[in-house]
Amino acid sequence: MIGMSSTVTVARGPIRLPQGFRRFWRSTKTARAISLVTFLVGWQLVIPLLPTALIPTPIEVGEFMWAEIRADTLAPETVYQAFATSLRRLVTGFGIALLIGIPLGLLMGLFKRVESFLHDFVVVGLAMPSLVWALIAAMWFGFVERSTIITVVLASVTFVIINVAEGVRAVPKDLLDMGKAYGTSDFHRVRHVVFPSLMPFLFASMRYGLANGWKGLVLAEIYASTSGAGWTIRFWYDARRAQGVIGYALFFMIFALFAERLVFKKLSDRVFRWRPSVGAQAPAETDGSAEEDLIELETAEDNLEREASGKH
Amino acid sequence: MASIKVQNLRKEFVTSDSTVVALENASFEASGHVFVSVVGPSGCGKSTLLNILSGIETPTSGIAEITENGKKARNGYVFQAARLLPWRTVMDNLMFVQKDRDAKSRERCQRYLDMVDLGHTANKYPGQLSGGMQQRVGIARAFSIEPDVLLMDEPFSHLDAITGRSLRKELHQIWMETKKTVLFVTHDVGEAVELSNRMVIFGKGGRLREDLKIDLPFPRDPADDAVALTKANVLRKFEELDLVAS
Repeated sequence: MIGMSSTVTVARGPIRLPQGFRRFWRSTKTARAISLVTFLVGWQLVIPLLPTALIPTPIEVGEFMWAEIRADTLAPETVYQAFATSLRRLVTGFGIALLIGIPLGLLMGLFKRVESFLHDFVVVGLAMPSLVWALIAAMWFGFVERSTIITVVLASVTFVIINVAEGVRAVPKDLLDMGKAYGTSDFHRVRHVVFPSLMPFLFASMRYGLANGWKGLVLAEIYASTSGAGWTIRFWYDARRAQGVIGYALFFMIFALFAERLVFKKLSDRVFRWRPSVGAQAPAETDGSAEEDLIELETAEDNLEREASGKH
Repeated sequence: MASIKVQNLRKEFVTSDSTVVALENASFEASGHVFVSVVGPSGCGKSTLLNILSGIETPTSGIAEITENGKKARNGYVFQAARLLPWRTVMDNLMFVQKDRDAKSRERCQRYLDMVDLGHTANKYPGQLSGGMQQRVGIARAFSIEPDVLLMDEPFSHLDAITGRSLRKELHQIWMETKKTVLFVTHDVGEAVELSNRMVIFGKGGRLREDLKIDLPFPRDPADDAVALTKANVLRKFEELDLVAS
């Protein structure tokens, strides 16, 4: 009898793994990690079978990046110098875009006639591929610092204009009326009602403006410059060193992730600390702005992560 | 003593294809320790009246003014929604409407937050509070400027019955203590009978139809016979005036 019952127990289900391992196995994070590892191993194994020397293995790319990180490079600029140059151009260009875009956006949001006047230009600006701006700047201004900065301005300014204009229209009228009913000054209301309600839109303009400006900048550096990250990727392309091109592409990603996680996230957590949670507030103030999709994406990702860590 | 004066008031809203008259030839006066309810069906210009008195809107013609001993009075305004700045803490929301933003004002704000039992939320953001608590912050804000007149626009209509009831009690108590002049817009006749000693009834097209005194002793229990009877009488009056939507 004892023997029989134990047989039944075994037959009842699959092998019971330890609780910790099961959780690890079922977690979505594990699935993501396995996907990445499979990709890298597959890449490493397939390359030697191909009849070309132009596709590097992941190990070769890793070696290239490690050498760059140690500032050991054949290129005229180290990865640090290249990115510092590009970052300076990006910040300068976007700063100018803010100086131009915020007043134009305010005017567009406030006055119907200005809106009608600028509308088509802004739409064209939003739709224009950054490549076109880079080529135009290179043609007109040549191999000078100006070309790269002007490309950043052109590629990002419309994002600032459209978001600020949208933000002005979304300023909560009921809160402005409240301030008026209590007899507060115009300045007081602009500072404490208008400006804070514009913040999410300024953030959206920063995200999209900087992203698009960066794409334009890399292209401008390829066509109209002799320094910066874009130019260095061109250098490796000319040298037929694919690990250089891929390695730099990965540096771009690391750079973007760094900017997003460490700079943007910190900044927005600070500015929007009054929000109970991103998800709960999202519909109220995105109101047609481009930020909407991003927040949805982030929420979805947060949910995934929460699920994965089993907290909720 | 604060007094509200409305004389031949007319307000029209002009849109591209039509003109809507919100208030037509409205006149009434109120002063001292009175609680005046403004009742009527929706679209009768009740809220417009408060917005004009508070300076948010300007009248098309006529007079609408609130004075304190001949000077322009200070008004507290409680809105239908709390209308708090979501990016400022509860305390900073109260400080936002203060004339002087000094330690004395801060102390006063804390006192009125305590009055609505929300002293402990001073450093919270509105988003962290329930709807009823936010509305109480809105009430504390109105009192915190120590106004001459209190304007209230359906302040309890968004709340559940239980919260609404306890806030009505609270409001009545504060009104008795502070002896303010209150102008209270509502479409809830029961609420008006329970709280006010005078009722101004507006009809369609923003015309003032009736000015009633409600002489019942306070505090009034809505379940009390006299209160229930008065409510029924007012509703009958509504029918006589043909204010009830058919």
